Amino acid sequence: MSFFIQVVVDGLSNGAIYAAIALAIVLVYRATALINFAQGGMAVAATFLAYALTRAGVPVLLALLAAVVFGFVLGAVVERGVMRHFEGGDPDTAVVATIALLVILGGASAYFFGYEPHQFPSLFPNKTIEVFGAFVSLRSIGTIAVLLVVMVALQVLFRSTKLGLAMRAVADNPQSSALSGLPVSRLLMIGWGLAAALGAIAGVLVAPQLFISPGMLDFVLVYALASAILGGLDSPLGAVVAAAFIGVIENLAGAYLDFIGDDLKIAVPFVAVIVILVVRPQGLFGRKVTVRV
Amino acid sequence: MSLLELVDVTASYGHAQVLHGISFSLPENGATGLLGANGAGKTTTLRAISGTVRTTGRILFEGRDISGLGPDRTAHLGIAHVPEGRGTLGQLSVRENLLVGAYQRRDRKQVATDVDYVLDLFPNLQERVRSNAAALSGGEQQMLAVGRAFMAKPRVMLLDEASLGLAPSTARRVYEAVVRLRREAQVSMVVVEQNANLAFSVVDDATVLETGRVALSGSKDELMGMDAVRRAYLGG
Amino acid sequence: MATSMAAPTTTGRAGHRTSRWKGVAAVGVLGIALVVAPLVSSPYINYQLSSIAVFAVAILGLNIVMGYTGQVSLGQSAFLGLGAYIAAYGILHGWPGPLTLLLCAVVPAAVGTLVALAAARLRGLALAMITLALPIVGVPLARRFADFTGGSQGRVVSWLRAPESSGLANDQWRYYVVVLIAVVAFALARNLVRGRIGRSFAIVKENEAVALSMGVSPYRTKVLAFTIASLLGGVSGFMYLAIVQFTSPETLVFATSINLVAAMVIGGSASIVGSALGAAYYVLVPVLAGQVNSSRTALISGVVLLAVLFALPAGLVSLPRRLARLRSSSRRTQHPQQDPPTPDEATRSASAPSEATTDQHS
Repeated sequence: MSFFIQVVVDGLSNGAIYAAIALAIVLVYRATALINFAQGGMAVAATFLAYALTRAGVPVLLALLAAVVFGFVLGAVVERGVMRHFEGGDPDTAVVATIALLVILGGASAYFFGYEPHQFPSLFPNKTIEVFGAFVSLRSIGTIAVLLVVMVALQVLFRSTKLGLAMRAVADNPQSSALSGLPVSRLLMIGWGLAAALGAIAGVLVAPQLFISPGMLDFVLVYALASAILGGLDSPLGAVVAAAFIGVIENLAGAYLDFIGDDLKIAVPFVAVIVILVVRPQGLFGRKVTVRV
Repeated sequence: MSLLELVDVTASYGHAQVLHGISFSLPENGATGLLGANGAGKTTTLRAISGTVRTTGRILFEGRDISGLGPDRTAHLGIAHVPEGRGTLGQLSVRENLLVGAYQRRDRKQVATDVDYVLDLFPNLQERVRSNAAALSGGEQQMLAVGRAFMAKPRVMLLDEASLGLAPSTARRVYEAVVRLRREAQVSMVVVEQNANLAFSVVDDATVLETGRVALSGSKDELMGMDAVRRAYLGG
Repeated sequence: MATSMAAPTTTGRAGHRTSRWKGVAAVGVLGIALVVAPLVSSPYINYQLSSIAVFAVAILGLNIVMGYTGQVSLGQSAFLGLGAYIAAYGILHGWPGPLTLLLCAVVPAAVGTLVALAAARLRGLALAMITLALPIVGVPLARRFADFTGGSQGRVVSWLRAPESSGLANDQWRYYVVVLIAVVAFALARNLVRGRIGRSFAIVKENEAVALSMGVSPYRTKVLAFTIASLLGGVSGFMYLAIVQFTSPETLVFATSINLVAAMVIGGSASIVGSALGAAYYVLVPVLAGQVNSSRTALISGVVLLAVLFALPAGLVSLPRRLARLRSSSRRTQHPQQDPPTPDEATRSASAPSEATTDQHS
């Protein structure tokens, strides 16, 4: 039982990381109907900034805050400077533009820091605590806690503030929102900035475990994408639930099913996602889309 | 000085020119109609005013040329456009839709009062104030769109085909509310309609468009008196 | 919606004939160049040209299902890898070349059909998810089933040596083999997309409900498109093994799928010629970027990709069209005249349906 709890908690901790990036993907998707592959690249770039700061002696928490701010600015600049150009046109072109950004950001990170993995200091002390007879790492609990705080903060932002209302309006119908005087372009920039900031948080939280490198988030991005799609792509709650689900069953399968082992672990969430999508094509929480002729 | 004046306005979608020199004016506190058949350019004229289509010519609002300003700028100046298709923000609740309409205002107390006023104007909306707007019927969404435009406390309201897709009784109810709005809140209006009867319940005069040009204009009585108008737009 | 037809510069039957002769001449010149090239180039250049042929077929397959039919496939690398592994297995077990090629076409096509049968009913991005799963799951599977695949080390296969009688060097012979396969694949694909099936692809891409009302089954069309894409992917895997003489789990990685999608868009979505251009981009840009500065290869490649997207959002294949339009628009400003609006342009530039095209109201 205690082993089970450990596995589940670790799975939830992984899931929290996927959830943060999945939320970022959903945020941008709701506002612009684009899948943003550059999410991973922006998160890595912000994490590298934090890395450079910690190497210069800055405490991890401050480095995290700096990374969040940097991420926000980066996201806003990218939207205004690059994505704005593609947002009205062919969606495939826009998605490939995000791929180009992913490559550029990865290449830039590699240029400054190389491709080899480096150690990254953890935000949480390297201790384990006892919960119901199981030993869970403080890092796992801390990661989950941070994500919950972020989720609550986002919820407050979107449901109770004017800015959040405006962002939801723009995500729903940008042309109509403009007619009510909403500054659509500025809100899109803020949306991207927020998404990138979420990625920065995820990056800094996961870097101690994965060792920071330009390719650090490649797999996380894939899981985040799967979570976002499984959750229904327009539902933030769905993305988080799906991410938790994926994190947990991946770990459970790896731990309890011998033939799966560490390398095929990644297949399990995907098989599960496929099965669920076949049964429920709109995802766990998505809306059924009716296409009007 | 008229509140709103269009002088020789053309408009194009890409290479397709849709308006070929429209001129009309709206006096202070007035209400004017834009009539015409499908494809005549009525919606495009409203879009020209609110700034969502490329134009040439002059569009004067309170004497100032606003052609070339985008929709959020014209909204800021006091022009509220209720678009064709209503532009309902489906994922937001009825109340939230109204609050979005008041986005540019800073007077929170008055905003709350105005929300109550709109809900009183449209009792249907009061019943469903917390529902997602996408769940509303066509008529209710139209009411919501009008209410949302009003929430901006605009100087001019541009109403685009408010009767579209609505049952006649529903359309009449919408227009009754619009009349009440005009009377109680003194909002000037430009009303685009294919159904001239409904339009004339609100407006004092109208301009008739035909393939992007002004074909006729005049007061309500003049136009209603013309056989051609009656046959084409009033059904006999 | 986009097609790859270049706009004729003159109208009328005389103009049509002129552009047809131009087309035939272009194909002729290209054909001669293709045949002569390996005889006058170094093995290194022949390798690059052959690689372009390999990925041209892979991207062609991707274009069939993504560009023409509008579905998202993030798994083309899995089919390429599968084809390469089948070829490796077959050659190492002494199967005749043509039979192996056939299997490299048929087996991935069957896999593609099975995947599509399950996935084609899903909304676009769910389908993308499933295609995404193919390389993700494929790589560890390739490592696991070492008997078939040679495990993590992969398989080295020395084959396709030039026959004595031809007098050609190995790299030249291999070039001819893969280019021949590519030419056949492209010719067949071109006929396919210009025929009835191609039209059904386009309708399903445009609007599935409309397709249904016209008697075209979106489901079956998507399955067919996906099958063809996987078939071409498998064939490109055979070609890959012919040129690289090696395959491993790395051949299947997800990053390759993404890069193939990017190359498809760069070359030109829904364009036969664009698929070849995209392959040229895919092969040459990393090589050139690496030569400029090897520590910044990724950075340069990314910047080039973005720059091309800015300049030519419709892909490289649209370059002649863009130049022509720039020339004609400068001519038009000197002689202003009203061009009759085409429905395409009128609706594309409008942020909402224009009155001219709105006829029915709900």
